[in-house]
Amino acid sequence: MKTPPFAVLKLSILLAVIALALTTVGSLWSWRQVEIASAALQQANSELNAARKQLDLSHQQKQLIATHLDAYQALKARGFIGAENRLAWVEAAQQANRDTGLYGLDYRLTPQVASPAALAQGLKLGQTSMTLIFPILVETDLPRFLAALKQRAPGIFDVQRCKLSLQGDPVFEAINQPRMLAECELLWFTIAEQAGGNP
Amino acid sequence: MIFTHRLILLATPRHIGVLDWRPGQMHWLGEFSDHVTGQAAFRKLITRYAHLPVLLVIDTVDEDYRSEILPHVQGRARDEMLARKLKQVFRNARFTGSWLQARETGGRRDDRYLLAALTDTDWLLPWLSVLHREQVPLYGITPLAMACQHMLNKLKVQETHVLLAYRLNNSLRLSYYHNGLLRFSRLISGETPTQLPGNAADEIAKTQLYLTGQRILPREARLHVLLLDPSGQLDSAQAPLNADPAFSTRLIDLSHLGHALHIPDAFLAVTPDIAPLAAIAGEAIQLNLAPAELMQRHTEFRWRRNLHAAAGVIGLAGLLMTAAFWLHAQDLNNQIDQLHQQQHHTRVRHQAIVATFPLQTVAPEQLAQTVSLAQQLNAPQPDAVKLLAAIGQAMDASPDITLDALAWEHALDPPRREVNIDLDASLTKFDGNYRAAMQRIEGLMNRLRAAPGIVDVNLRNSPVNTDSSSTLTGKTFGPNASSEAPAVNFGLSVRYREASP
Repeated sequence: MKTPPFAVLKLSILLAVIALALTTVGSLWSWRQVEIASAALQQANSELNAARKQLDLSHQQKQLIATHLDAYQALKARGFIGAENRLAWVEAAQQANRDTGLYGLDYRLTPQVASPAALAQGLKLGQTSMTLIFPILVETDLPRFLAALKQRAPGIFDVQRCKLSLQGDPVFEAINQPRMLAECELLWFTIAEQAGGNP
Repeated sequence: MIFTHRLILLATPRHIGVLDWRPGQMHWLGEFSDHVTGQAAFRKLITRYAHLPVLLVIDTVDEDYRSEILPHVQGRARDEMLARKLKQVFRNARFTGSWLQARETGGRRDDRYLLAALTDTDWLLPWLSVLHREQVPLYGITPLAMACQHMLNKLKVQETHVLLAYRLNNSLRLSYYHNGLLRFSRLISGETPTQLPGNAADEIAKTQLYLTGQRILPREARLHVLLLDPSGQLDSAQAPLNADPAFSTRLIDLSHLGHALHIPDAFLAVTPDIAPLAAIAGEAIQLNLAPAELMQRHTEFRWRRNLHAAAGVIGLAGLLMTAAFWLHAQDLNNQIDQLHQQQHHTRVRHQAIVATFPLQTVAPEQLAQTVSLAQQLNAPQPDAVKLLAAIGQAMDASPDITLDALAWEHALDPPRREVNIDLDASLTKFDGNYRAAMQRIEGLMNRLRAAPGIVDVNLRNSPVNTDSSSTLTGKTFGPNASSEAPAVNFGLSVRYREASP
């Protein structure tokens, strides 16, 4: 028993080697199957999670659409969304001036520029500066004009600054002559309609 | 279980018996005489069972036993010492063996060996040649007395000095066991006249005298004689032996023996030879008389069996591992299928929801963001009327100050309700007294601070520069020269914050 009689044990050794080889091959093969299945399971889990996120997103989008679509359509109809409409702005200013009984106005529109990123919040928000200069009789004519313009505005604007200044000698005169000049700078905002509709 | 299946042969000079043994199951395959026909039949039988390991139990008168006390050595030195001792004691006997029975408790603590040999084996050679020719894995040759020792162990014989008188095949074997270990054995063949039933007691007494004379058995020891005879011829020896105080005799009946060996009584009664064979079949060989060359086949057999066992274990382990991994993989695949189904259902639900969306060109998130931004831009601005009222309230209380210009602006970023106001004004009726003028301006500033919504007022543009690093020039006027005095202009910075609605 001390020294194996190799000569007569060739077949037995071969059998043991074959068993070992088959065991190794079988184990490696089946383990490989486990690895492949594990990877596929992980992939399937990832895909399922992605699908669930997409489903959740679609629920959220559905809620967003239900909540904001009407408001969005209204903004679009009002002119906030889409290309700027300078003529409508000018007409609104003139109409507000007339409706408040003022004495005409001068206007100046500058080229449209992109709004600051902090304000635009990632949207393609553009802003156009409109300077209005018009005489008024009393100080309260200015808020009345701005309120009238706000009411008729075909879009969204913001009054950046206003200045009231006296014109000529401030001597009291009985005639109904405007001696005060108002100068206001307005920012008209428009947002470009971006592609990327239904998911 | 398959590894314990074996053949146990009981060889005597006249015949050989064969027992097919495995745990819990045995078959008596027959007895073959030493004639040509018997040997041929034996060869034919052995051919069928050549794959089983074989133990050869010898029952012959040509055997010799010797107890020896030898130094305690181990390994190769012990092998060489025993080989020398066997050669010295038994000369050229081919079938010899030694058994380390115990170690002395005193002195050098030497080892006590039982040496044994078959002194005449010519009758055995034909049987061995059959085994050799058929390449049977012979794993041992042992005397029948050793088989009987295991039989006594199974009978749970506890006495210290035991003499077994075993009548088998018309011969009487007397074996002495000390503490259950074989010390001496002799066979009285059936051809001798002492085999008459009445002489058995005499033979036992003579054997006791021999053992005492050889100092194998202590003089004062009482010998317990166990009589085992399936034919019942030894029963008559019990009375005379018990009459002698040196003996204590009892019979072993077959039913007791069969129960101890788990052999049916009927089977044992028909084939009494199997009792010692069944007793030694499952035990390790302690006293092996087979020379190494006769056990070569068994050496190969053991290696082959172990290799096959290893291959089987490896193969089985591999099969189990492969099956376990494969089943695990199938389980994972089933999970994957379930996940795919869930994924499919989720996508279908998603598509169903998306299908309800109105046709539009913007993403829903952008839609919401656009509306939110519009609300932010469209937030109410500070009320200009309130702002003007706050300024006007302060100006009305300062009739000697004329407002020249009023400008305000506010930032788009929050807070949207705070307005920075630049106020340009001038003093009326200035007489050149700048100290008084500054007091009037300070009065206006205080009134502005008291107006609602005004949070801070600063002098932006002073009518006079009293800084020591600059040049200050001016002119004073008489009491009635006010019309000649220049206008005194100044500017204020005011911060206005409309109260939250």
